[in-house]
Amino acid sequence: MSEFDVIVVGAGPAGASAAIKLATSGSSVLLVERGDPPGSKNVSGGVLWGDSLGSVAPDWEKAAPMERYVEAKGVSFLTKDSKISIDFRSKKLQERRSGYTVLRTKLDGWLSKKAKDAGAMVASGITVDKLAFKDNRVIGVEQDGDIITSDIVILAEGANPRVAINSGIRERLKDRDVAIGVKEIIKLPEKTINERFNLTSSKMGFASEYVLGFLEGGVKAGGFIYTNKESISLGLVISMKEMRQNNNTRSFDLIEQFKEHPYIAPLIEGGRVDEYSAHMVQEGGLKSVPQLYGNGFMVAGDGAGFSFSNGMVLQGMNYAIASGIAAAESAIKAKIKSNFTREGLSSYEERLKSSFVLQDLMNFKGIEEVTWSDMIHRGIPNMSEELFLSLFSENGQPKAHLINLLIGAMGHSDVPRKDMVINMYRMLRRM
Amino acid sequence: MKIEDRLSLLNYKTDKSYEHITINPSICETCPDHFCTFACPAKCYSLIEEKLNFKYEDCVECGTCDVACSHGSVAWNNTKGGHGVKYKYG
Repeated sequence: MSEFDVIVVGAGPAGASAAIKLATSGSSVLLVERGDPPGSKNVSGGVLWGDSLGSVAPDWEKAAPMERYVEAKGVSFLTKDSKISIDFRSKKLQERRSGYTVLRTKLDGWLSKKAKDAGAMVASGITVDKLAFKDNRVIGVEQDGDIITSDIVILAEGANPRVAINSGIRERLKDRDVAIGVKEIIKLPEKTINERFNLTSSKMGFASEYVLGFLEGGVKAGGFIYTNKESISLGLVISMKEMRQNNNTRSFDLIEQFKEHPYIAPLIEGGRVDEYSAHMVQEGGLKSVPQLYGNGFMVAGDGAGFSFSNGMVLQGMNYAIASGIAAAESAIKAKIKSNFTREGLSSYEERLKSSFVLQDLMNFKGIEEVTWSDMIHRGIPNMSEELFLSLFSENGQPKAHLINLLIGAMGHSDVPRKDMVINMYRMLRRM
Repeated sequence: MKIEDRLSLLNYKTDKSYEHITINPSICETCPDHFCTFACPAKCYSLIEEKLNFKYEDCVECGTCDVACSHGSVAWNNTKGGHGVKYKYG
């Protein structure tokens, strides 16, 4: 007889959502979190997209500590002197659903409390060392030599999956699997944020991704700016592969170059940096997804490699929540059948395959090759800069047709014209 | 803003009796790249007089160094007992 039906390792969005779902349906759950309080070790860029939380916390939009609703979504290419942007704003984003900017210590603290209120036991400040095995199946978790038993363990330990690695159920992460994310929280008055980002109220938020085509040494990285109520989340993501290839850039220095760009600096001027954080970002797509379930265990969230980025949006928490809930549902089903073997938990993969979690990863296979391509980081920014300079400047010379300007601009892209055309086609297909 | 100033904004509950990451100095001594000094976002790894210096106290527990070190020097473990970095916002 196990002490718990399910032990959930990690109280981030994946683990807490799983715990809420399980406890609500009457399972006995232990949610173990190494941070104390829950949330204090958790970092993300900062936008929770979609409505994944709805099925475990129907009141989340009103009750959860959200910052601002994303009504303005941007995508920008930055060159040394220019910024080429889409600044999409629509009242329709509310009904179609976008996302909320969030701060994880607040959000995850709230989710853990929700799990506790639903009947889960929440143990924070406790570090699980590894899974406990007996007869080739997981029987619980091991902590400082003690074993706590459960029928099922859901591993939701985040981007740095030590328990899974220590337990031998996955390999160590490789360069291709991850990017390094660094971020600052920059404090600014609510009113200043509204003015600078053209937001009509403090509920309305701005979220934008940036292709940083101007970094020293031609290093490729992506930036982001998200507005919170009284602060800005500003950060940068650089793939491990790219870092290694440019072994003269320091991950912590790059963010300064982003902040000093002529069209970024005015947005944060006078702001006070109140926190610096770093976190690995799952970047490997489908080929980085590890074994997702086995005898007595399932893996959810970042630890399972679930995230999505196509250069225009960066998502992770919605995948974490949806996979956590799918794991909980599969655990509930396994309990009814009293079958906690790999076969008994196989509905987990079916659930993921029929939802956006695995479908997105399958449909966008290879997207990471596009997002880190020369085309995105040099070709398009340089070409667009030249095109718009030609279009929007006036030098008294006869004007050229757009197509000729475009062909001319391609010559400024640092990428051969032929490659540009082929890659553009590939890019549009893969995106 | 210097990385040292950024790190000084963070709260840590330092575990004085347990170093959650250890390195193998003999491997680092012959390392050709010292990629850890570039990759680690908290500057825990630095070269002082061509010798690798590592301090676990500033670690933000992201796990980057474990991926970055391709020479097998880094032994990475989670902090215990709620020790380590404590974010205000996250």
